[in-house]
Amino acid sequence: MASVKLTNVKKVYDNKVVAVHDFNLDIKDKEFIVFVGPSGCGKSTTLRMIAGLEDISGGTVEIDGVVVNDLQPRDRDIAMVFQNYALYPHMTVYDNIAFSLRLKKMPEDQIYEKVTEAAEILGITDYLLRKPRALSGGQRQRVAIGRAMVRNSKVFLMDEPLSNLDAKLRNQMRAEIILLRKRLDTTFIYVTHDQTEAMTLGDRIVIMKDGYIMQVGTPTEVFEKPANLFVAEFIGAPKMNTFKAELVKEGGKYFVKAFGAKLPADGENGRLLGEKGYGSREVVLGARPEHITLADGPAENAIETTLIVNEMMGSEVHLHVRTKDGTDLIVRVPTIQLSKEQRENLYAGATLYITFEDKVMYFFDPESQENLLFH
Amino acid sequence: MADLKKLSEKTPENELKKHVGLKASRTISNTLIYILLIIMTVIWLTPFVCIVLQSFRCESTYIVGYVIPKVWGLDNYKALFQTDFPIWYRNTLVTALCVSVLQTVIVLCMSYTLSRFRFKLRKPLMKFMLVLGLFPGMLTMIILYRVLKDLGLTQANAVPGLILVYIASSGMGYYISKGFFDTLPKSLDEAARIDGATRAQVLTKIILPLAKPIVIYTILTAFMGPFGDFVFARYISMNTSKGMNVAVGLWSWLTPDQVQYKYTMFCAGGVLVAIPVTILFMCLQKYYVEGVTGGAVKG
Repeated sequence: MASVKLTNVKKVYDNKVVAVHDFNLDIKDKEFIVFVGPSGCGKSTTLRMIAGLEDISGGTVEIDGVVVNDLQPRDRDIAMVFQNYALYPHMTVYDNIAFSLRLKKMPEDQIYEKVTEAAEILGITDYLLRKPRALSGGQRQRVAIGRAMVRNSKVFLMDEPLSNLDAKLRNQMRAEIILLRKRLDTTFIYVTHDQTEAMTLGDRIVIMKDGYIMQVGTPTEVFEKPANLFVAEFIGAPKMNTFKAELVKEGGKYFVKAFGAKLPADGENGRLLGEKGYGSREVVLGARPEHITLADGPAENAIETTLIVNEMMGSEVHLHVRTKDGTDLIVRVPTIQLSKEQRENLYAGATLYITFEDKVMYFFDPESQENLLFH
Repeated sequence: MADLKKLSEKTPENELKKHVGLKASRTISNTLIYILLIIMTVIWLTPFVCIVLQSFRCESTYIVGYVIPKVWGLDNYKALFQTDFPIWYRNTLVTALCVSVLQTVIVLCMSYTLSRFRFKLRKPLMKFMLVLGLFPGMLTMIILYRVLKDLGLTQANAVPGLILVYIASSGMGYYISKGFFDTLPKSLDEAARIDGATRAQVLTKIILPLAKPIVIYTILTAFMGPFGDFVFARYISMNTSKGMNVAVGLWSWLTPDQVQYKYTMFCAGGVLVAIPVTILFMCLQKYYVEGVTGGAVKG
């Protein structure tokens, strides 16, 4: 239960590699914040600096208004769950969870109460007397969470806690973390490389790349208003289609010319483009796979493509198509929208006409890669 | 050809034959291995058995041409206690116990530090110690003697002097335990530190329980070194009986003028020396448990 404030936080390793550049972030009390990004983007390093496991090369980290730069991890009042669980192998599950309480010299009967309560919540009561090696991956992760839970600390840190679990268990644990968060009602900082986890768990998401923050925002914000090309491509699965296109202004209206087709960009997008006062120019156009639709046949606003791969996902179909100039695009079509005849025609090599929904096109600057609409 | 084909077929009969054949060849190889092991055991054990038997010989005290005593008894053991032997024994035990405790603490702290902490000159320090360790310890003998003599820690006061000599360089014996500590996941340290442990608590509550085999090994080697040492002990005690350890003391009975009267006592002394070491080994060997780190981290 505390706010966390990072001001100009920097991490430079001994070999002069800069892992984190001027990191500025205000994490509110009881907020669930997720650091997400590809491996090597500095998200874990930042978390470890907050935890005190990594020296801070520059800037300050404040927890609850107190600068903790020079405090040992044990003096920061934080709890942390590690990717590899880091359970003490020579202790039983009970002793693992009780370890921090014993160090605090809490009376044994209180420890018993706390440990059994946590075990109850996590459903590991039956395993309390087992050693970690006799547990499955999911159970070990629960023990690790239990160990962090009983501490009632100000900030709860999680470093890719679900990465080592299989897909099914990961979904289940993700839901449990949401419940846990409600129960603990404390500040969470969660690190992951998985954008689904980030979107589903976070109140706000911090997207990082090469040690820089790319965007901070709610899941809806980063999805709908990505600040730049990197965020746009990182959030959403399958990833957003991006390609070079030409923005044309004709008689006060905007059009996009791409792959020989001319698509209208009116509505909200046209209004925003007009507000920003853009003229005709080169852009990188972004279109999410679910915002591309199949057209009935050749038309001015339809692009002719060839189907390369058809991935049947059950409730939806992912169509990998190639335009005439060799650009690959992904189209996501709900299975329910396809007639039987249409489905039969989705064979490799088939010619498909696609078109974009103008409301959900994204425009990026080819140079700076920034979003033209929300910059 | 037909027979061969028949043999290669996987009928239950053929399988059984094959099984019996395999079993027979395994039996033969096992027998050979056991014969070899028995021969080696006999060669190794003979001197020990001889010494034990000689220690119970009562009819004479000098070297004889037979092994099994004609008159059995404990005379030699009783006689030991009329000599300086109890003093030597005490000296040896005190030295070995002190060294094993101090050296184990130093080695384990050193190993943990070098394994977990990152500080300037860490690597140069390790290299320096490696190179220093390549010089034989004997080279330092003369200067050590001078230093200890000035401190008044030679001859009758040889025990504290010896303890000092043995533990002085013990920090350099960190290789094996550091190697073991390196294999323990660092996230265990980190988890414990976040849980509220100090570095010292991490070492004592997490790392050492997991490194039990290596701790035992360190204790054993730290005990064995001084327990069996001869060269330094003889040099520093300098013919003063009160400062000798068992090895030096017993050796002094093997001079041509003494051996006539004290050979069997020498054997009895040898047997008594072996007892604490044997007990130590028997007690500690069960701690050589493998796989204590199972389940710590995902692996």
